[in-house]
Order: sequence, then structure tokens, then C-alpha cells
Amino acid sequence: MSPSPERLVPRPGAQWATASEPAPTLRRDLKSTVAIRVRNVSKAFPGVQALRGVNFELFAGEVHGLVGANGAGKSTFIRMLSGASRPDTGDIEVQGSPLFFDNPRQQRSVGIAAIYQELTIIPEMSALSNAFLGAAPSRFFFTDRRRMERRFAELAEWMGLKVAAHAKAGTLSVAQQQMLEIMRAVQADQSVLIMDEPTAPLGPYERSRLYDLIGRLKASGVSIIFISHDLDEVLRLCDRVSVMREGLLVATKPAAGWSKDSLVGAMLGNVEITAAPRRARAGCDELLRVSGVTLGDSVADISFILGAGEVLGIAGLVGAGRTELLRAIAGAEPGARGALRLAGVERALPWTVRDAIRLGVVLAPEDRKRQGLVLSRAALPNLMLADLGGVAVGLVIDRAATRARGTALARQLGFDPNRLGVEALTLSGGNQQKLVLGKWLNRKPRVLLLDEPTRGIDLGAKQEIFQTIRRLSAEGMGVILVSSDLEEVVEHADRVLVMARGRQIGLLEGEDATVERILNLIFAVEDRAIATGAN
Amino acid sequence: MSNADALPTGGAPQAVPAWRAQLPTLIRVYGIILTLMLLLTVVTIGNPAFMSQQNVFNMASQWAPAGIMAVGMTFVILTGGFDLSVASAYSLCAVVAAYVGQAHAPPIAFAAAIAVGLLFGLANGILVAVVRINPFITTVGSGFIINGVALVMTQNAAFLVDDEAFGMLGAGRWHGIPYSGMLLVSFLVIFGLVLARTVYGEAVYAVGGNYEASRLSGIRVRAVVASTYVLLGGCVGLAGSIAASQLSSAQANLDPGIIFDVLTIVVVGGTSLSGGSGAMWRTAVGLAIIATISNGFVLLDISPYYQSIIKGSIIVAALALDTGLSRLVRAR
Repeated sequence: MSPSPERLVPRPGAQWATASEPAPTLRRDLKSTVAIRVRNVSKAFPGVQALRGVNFELFAGEVHGLVGANGAGKSTFIRMLSGASRPDTGDIEVQGSPLFFDNPRQQRSVGIAAIYQELTIIPEMSALSNAFLGAAPSRFFFTDRRRMERRFAELAEWMGLKVAAHAKAGTLSVAQQQMLEIMRAVQADQSVLIMDEPTAPLGPYERSRLYDLIGRLKASGVSIIFISHDLDEVLRLCDRVSVMREGLLVATKPAAGWSKDSLVGAMLGNVEITAAPRRARAGCDELLRVSGVTLGDSVADISFILGAGEVLGIAGLVGAGRTELLRAIAGAEPGARGALRLAGVERALPWTVRDAIRLGVVLAPEDRKRQGLVLSRAALPNLMLADLGGVAVGLVIDRAATRARGTALARQLGFDPNRLGVEALTLSGGNQQKLVLGKWLNRKPRVLLLDEPTRGIDLGAKQEIFQTIRRLSAEGMGVILVSSDLEEVVEHADRVLVMARGRQIGLLEGEDATVERILNLIFAVEDRAIATGAN
Repeated sequence: MSNADALPTGGAPQAVPAWRAQLPTLIRVYGIILTLMLLLTVVTIGNPAFMSQQNVFNMASQWAPAGIMAVGMTFVILTGGFDLSVASAYSLCAVVAAYVGQAHAPPIAFAAAIAVGLLFGLANGILVAVVRINPFITTVGSGFIINGVALVMTQNAAFLVDDEAFGMLGAGRWHGIPYSGMLLVSFLVIFGLVLARTVYGEAVYAVGGNYEASRLSGIRVRAVVASTYVLLGGCVGLAGSIAASQLSSAQANLDPGIIFDVLTIVVVGGTSLSGGSGAMWRTAVGLAIIATISNGFVLLDISPYYQSIIKGSIIVAALALDTGLSRLVRAR
């Protein structure tokens, strides 16, 4: 079935002015009513079982919602459906024939297009070129511009997109760029569209336009997998909804069979909400007071107090401003405004990373490969990275002292000292994270900021990392923990600061700090934001 | 504990002997030495005069300017940078040395040349590290400026220096050993130690390996990057001095092709153009390889046309081998 550009949407002359008119139908012979069938698919990454025996069916012409907390395996799952990642076991059938991997071009001919949150629009090229990227109609080796323009005009009208064909894609709004990506899939006659949080960057008006378009696509026989954190939207828009949790697809039901509460319940599972005995905060002295941290659109007026020996958790969805807040406190965001008081001394936020380090405030960043480590260097120099002068006599590095210091740090962290000479690139995520932590322990910080310290690492390493953190906080170090794994935050933090859309929306303590409370707070704000059109 | 932790060698699942599993890594690390030894053997068998003391000393003296600049270039490339202005700067520094040397004592002339080299190195460093212009573009541009300055100074005529003492640096010898050759070797050793054993060297590797992680670890990334251009500038100043001294004269377009020698020396040695990985011993080996090819082919009486083909092939082959093997090692 070679994709012909003239299938999905009317040929020249036909008129599809409004949504109420009959939508163009797919002429492809559908052998089955099941567009995608996934059988018993599992996938493991080093240290993480990302998918566990997932079974899934996508009906032809269905809008299928997929929800789950961060790290539930949604991304891995859709990457697999789009052919970008290969399952360890199990198989995937598309229109009754098995799916091939490792070749996005072949994937296209199968008829699946994924629209990720990171759009694949090329900003320097025109809207027209972007819509036909890699599939431009040609005549005698030349791209057939007139045909492209005609098709573009038809599709744009059908989709309700008002964009000049020759406008540079980079000058368009995010919503328009997203429409272009959808157009790319539509013009190539893709029968399955995967949309990963398509509404996240959109305002209310643009959202309603997208809902409208999804309706048209569905009517023309396209199947859609729709991923969103906005549960109301999922319930309203989708025919069926599947819930993922910890790599399992826990349930699939018609949307009418779900309620918002039951969705949240399924996302969380029967987690025993641990009411771990928390230290009373009254018992510890103030170590750090942060006031009025503001950074552009992403962080708005955040203030809190961190006690000596306290672990303060920060919870929120991706994009809530958690990372930006940590970076601002660590001096990595020159545009941030605000003040802090550390051990009684009042001052502005640190203006450079060096400044923050001198104060004893250090950040273990979220992306350890790109921001934490020098992967081409061995483990030992990475441990010394933040304190190169500390093991030098004059300017010459004392190798014996370096070795001794590195070995001691490695023991503290549960990192095998015999592997200090190994290139950081070849280490597992857990060991890499230990190096990032070790790099800062080497400086004996007063405040340690941890951004997603356990992302993608195995359970053993996780435990070792939290053991280290607990030991250090027992010695009086203050820790701020950002993690998308809410259970982890609840388990390890003494108090939890909840953020949404850059603002602090709650500070939960003791019995109150439960995953459920956190999610309710967040969804309340998200709902209100959607209702009032704030974005 | 997890498999991802295993090195290509450690605990290989099949009964592959450790040495064989490690072969790609070994060739990647030491293959370049093998290449050098092979070349030396071939050339020496072809013409035993190649290994004579006199020939070796001559080579050391002849390659001193390019080799000393390669020392500085190694630092720049390790930070992920690049400097194309060295050919122009080299000529300008030689011109400055000759100009000052016409009226003043040689040490003053050479100091002036080095100062000019440092100055232009600092300018490049600031543009690349602080203003953050792409190093390629920056140094093409500054190369034109520097070349223009030299042309204006000389009006495209050669400056001759009629002072025997001026020739000592480039052509002087102690018991047959050329001073310039001694300078070259000591630069390789001293800056090799700086790179391998000092805080500064460690910072150079870190910044080149991961700029953002280095910045977030509190390393003065901009200062480190800029300093490498200054260091290279100093090397260029000394190289220009040696050249002027060897020739007892200088002109604005002394040797425009020397930039390719310098880059080839560093890259053939195996220092990565993407920064963060490499070493000074590699530059030393790269220098030996390039010098052996150039000098040996003359001794073997190979036509210059073929020399060019063979030289190019060896360079491309060395890089292809390095890249291919790196991919092989990574892929495991």
C-alpha cells in the first residue's frame, strides 16, 4: 500500500467547508477493524523494567486515551509503536502484519505517525516544505511545487489552518507548528496517529480547534492514540481509555466506564500510602530561607524554609517549574530574582554557579549525562570535578591523594573503588548518579539540590543513593528533592512543596503528605487553568 | 551488578580471550604507535641514513616551529576549539622578531614576537570564549586581520637581519644538538605534564568533554577556553621567532601551509576534534609520523607527486581507523 497523497482528503474541486459535512473516507482496504494489536510486549532498560507484558488493541477509527503517571511506561510504549524502539519480547501487528523496527521510513509506509511533545518542525524551512518533508511529490526529479501548493491549500482548509504556505515554520505559533506536523501525517495518508500530550502547549481556543480536528480525523477513519495529563479532556475526547502504571497496562475501558477518580485510582494503584514517621520540623533549626524566587514565565514568587537535616520534596508535573527553581537557587539561571538567607546571612540569589558552590549550595542536575558528568573521562576525575584544586599541591595534582579521596568517596556511595579508572560513559545510570553525588559530597555542601536523582536507575542504586542522602541529612545537611516519582517524594521527604505552573500551590506536612493529596492539588490547579484559559 | 556496567573486556560472556576482546580498544589507543614504528622501519630499511644522528637533529630543528605550535593547538582542540589564524600569526610574529631584531638584541626581538603572539591569542580567546563566536569563523577572520597587519608592516618585502646572534635560536647548536630541537622536546614534555598532571590540564579535559557539566561544577569554563588560545598564541610567537632566526629574515607570507601541518600533527596523533579526548604524547607521535613521512620520502627518492598521495592516504587511513574502532568499542 503505497501512500498516495490524494487519498485522505478530497481531490481538487471537492468542498469540505465545515465539520458537519461528510469527512473524506479512507479508501485503503481495511482487512481488520483492529489497527494495531500489541501482544505481551516487554522492554527492559539497564536497571528498569519499562514495560511488562503489555497487551493493547487500537480499533480502526477510534480515539484511544492513554494515561499514567510519569515513568509509567507511556513514552517507551509509544516509542515502540512508532518503531523507534524494539521490544525485548512480544509482538506488534499493524493492520494484521508484523511491525518492523529501526527504520522510521519503513514505519511511515506502515501508516503510523507519532507527534511528540518535541515537534520535528524544521524552523528554517517553509510551512509547505515542512508539511511535505521527506515525501514531496516529484516530477522528473524536481519537486512538483504546484501540486504541493494545491494540496497544502486543500489540507489547510480542511484542517482549519490559516497559514501562508511560504511562511517560515519557525515564525509560526506552537499550535500552528503542531498542525503542520499533523498535516504531514495526514498528507502521507497515515492511518494511525499517536499524539503525546498535544494539548499541553495550547491555549483553550487552540485546544478546541485540535479537538475539532481530531473529530474530523476520526470520522475519516484515522485511529488516534491520545496521551494527556488532563483527565477531563481524555474522558471527553476518547472512545476508550487505557491506564498504565509501572510498566503495566492495568486496565482498558470505554470512557463512559471511567470517572476522574477511578482514573487517578488506577494510575496510583493500590499503593499503600506510607505515613512514615516524619521528624517534626519544629525540632530542626532553619538552615536556608528562600524568598520570592521568580524566573521569567517558569517560576513565580516561590518562598520556603529548609531546616538543617531536613529533606524537602518538591512535587509537580513536568513543566511545573521545579527544575528551574532548583537551577535558580544554584546560580545556574542568571535571569532569576529572589533572596535567600543561609545560616543567618541575608543575600540575593547566587549569580553564578561558582558563587553558589562557595555558599555551599550545590545542584545535582536532572540530566546527568549532559549536565552532570564528563562522559569521556574516567570515574575518578569526575568525582574530583567540582574540587580540582582540593587535591593539588600548588597547581600539580597529587595523584596519591586523589586516589585516596576518590576511594573514600566511592566507599561512602557504594561505588566499587576498583572501577574508578573506568570511563564514565560505560557505567550504568546508577553508578553515574553516584558519581554526580560524589562530586558534590567531595565539597561537603550545606544544601544539596537533587533534580530527578533516581530517573532511570535500578532499585539497588536507588536505595544506596537514599541511604547516603539520609546519612548526610542526619549530619545536618539540608536536601531539596525533586522527583517525578511521587511515591518516592512522599517516602523520603519530611515536607512536600507542591508546584503547578510555576507557582507553589501547597506545602504538605506529616500525615497530609500523600500522593493523593499532591495529585488532587495539582489537578485542581490544572483544571482551573484550563477553565480560565491561563496557560 | 548490571550488564551495562561491564567493560567490553570484563567478564565477556563467551570464552573470548581477554586480549582479543580488548583488541579494538588496544588498537585505538596504541595503533598510532604501531603506525609510527612501521613507517620508521620502512624508511630506515630504504635508507639507513634516515636514522643517522645528523638527520634526526636536522629534522628536530626543521620541525620545531610546527611542533611547538602543535603543542598549543593540542590544548585548543582539547577544549573543542580550533584556530586557523596560526599561519598568519606565525608569519606576523616572525616579521616582528626580524623587525625588532634589526635594531635591538635578539632576546628583545624574540620577546616582542612572543608578546604579539600572546596578544592575538588573547583576542581570539576572548572572541571565542566570552563573545562566543564560532572558533572556525573567528579565527578565519582574525587570520585575515593578522595577515593584513603583517603586509602593512612589511609592504610585502622581506625583513633581513644582519646579526649573527639573531640566528642562534633557530640554527645554533650545542654539541650538535639544535637549540630549537631542545625547545621542541622540552615544550612537548613540560606541556605534556601540564596537561596530564595539573589542575589546569584536568580543567581543559573537563571543559572539552562536557562544557555544561563543567560550568555546573564550578569550573571557570570561559577562562579555561580563552587561556588555551593565549597559550597557543605564545607558542606561535616562539615558533615565529625560531623561523625568523633560522632564516635570518621574515616576510608576511612565510609559510601559509603550516596550518595544515599543525592540525594534521594533532589530529593524526588521535586527539579528537570534538574535544575532551587526546593527549600530548599523541601529538608527539603525530609529529614524528608527519616528519618521518615528509623527510623519509625525500630520502627514499619518492617523487613529490606520489609523496602527496601517500601522505594524504596515511592521514585519512589513520582517522578512519580511529573513528571506526571507536564506534566498534562504543557499540558493545
